[in-house]
Amino acid sequence: MAQQRDEDNFRSQVEDRLDHLFQEDSPEATDEQVGLVEHPLKNLKAVLLSIDWEITDSTMDSLLNEIKNVEYVYSEDKILLTFLQLLGSIGRYVKANKGRAHPEATRVINSVYEALEKVALTEGMTRPEKEKMLLEEVTKFKKLKELVVLRKAEKKEPAVLEVAPAPPAPPAAPAPEPERIPAKEIPAREELHAEPRTEARFAGMSPHEAFAYALEEIKEVIRAEFKALRAEIKLWRESK
Amino acid sequence: MAIINLKKKEVQAKIVYYGPGRGGKTTNLEYIYKKFRSRIQTEMVTIKTHGDRTLFFDFLPIEIGRIKGYDIRIQLYTVPGQVKYESTRRLVLRGVDGIVFVADSLAVRRKENVLSLKSLADNLSSYKKSISEIPLVFQYNKRDLLDEGIPLLPVEWLEKDLNSKLQAPSFEASALKGPNVVQTMKKIIIMTIDSLRKDLT
Repeated sequence: MAQQRDEDNFRSQVEDRLDHLFQEDSPEATDEQVGLVEHPLKNLKAVLLSIDWEITDSTMDSLLNEIKNVEYVYSEDKILLTFLQLLGSIGRYVKANKGRAHPEATRVINSVYEALEKVALTEGMTRPEKEKMLLEEVTKFKKLKELVVLRKAEKKEPAVLEVAPAPPAPPAAPAPEPERIPAKEIPAREELHAEPRTEARFAGMSPHEAFAYALEEIKEVIRAEFKALRAEIKLWRESK
Repeated sequence: MAIINLKKKEVQAKIVYYGPGRGGKTTNLEYIYKKFRSRIQTEMVTIKTHGDRTLFFDFLPIEIGRIKGYDIRIQLYTVPGQVKYESTRRLVLRGVDGIVFVADSLAVRRKENVLSLKSLADNLSSYKKSISEIPLVFQYNKRDLLDEGIPLLPVEWLEKDLNSKLQAPSFEASALKGPNVVQTMKKIIIMTIDSLRKDLT
């Protein structure tokens, strides 16, 4: 009986301490964005969220198709259209390169989408504010292109990650209208690709090349595991 | 298992956030860390890699303080969700005292949730622990996306898929926005400490 009371008392003290430590303030003020229910971006966001580490042709095709759909909807809005073009370019690059795409690509594609959503949904956002956000994403896109080219140069991978000439603009795109963004800052629909798809890449390799490629992947995993072990040992030592 | 130092009167419990990749495990810890940084006064350690994914684990120690003469410390960990890091997940689970299973509510992630729960059970059994006995809380994450019209798994399905046998406490949550993130953590801490209390009292 006394032990039970002691246990209850202990538990109650833990609860009180947790309540004190993690007392949440009043809910933060909601921002001015409206929801995505029935919004043209709804499906695009769903597709983007479904793209996991294991990027497949079907998810990437869905993404590119959805970008086209939204491009059609926003064909009159140059700023949103440019956001979508950035997404399309990175999406095509990721689709072509999959797991070998530059790690920064995933980060940039998410960043571009977040900015697009904010620009599209925030009521009362001024045009200069929208342009500023667009420019930030364009800068990230350009940086990504540089990283891709740099990596290609470092690895001396012939024709693996070329920056190809810009394809023609889609028919749905409107004629250029007066823009406050300097023309040079608007990205052309440049492509970051094109590395063959995974299966195609293996198909074109000689057995020893395919083996070397697979070996490299295994090495990467082993390196990660060793790093993990070292971190665990370090933590264990620190906790002693 | 928990480190209980009777001489120094210290108790250190390890809680692991487990679940499929991109389910929101790291986001849970980030929310707690950002929101309560000034109160918990510890640093979050995180090792990320390609596209912001967890490579090894995230680690957030929390000092609960002195209760009945014991200094209680909780260590929150996440595991990397990516399929290829199975051995790392197993390693992080070593000595675990409580689990939060962060399920992804996205409709397209149904299979991954089930596979991840199975991997949790398998990995625990490698340490001779049973998923049905260890303190466990389910968190059905990303529920906020429902408001945006994104297809999610109904909670009933998640319960049926994951929790029909285990009957563990569960929370609908949004790790990104905060609802039920703290409640999930409080629940698992209390359950974990409850399971250790026989050693303390």
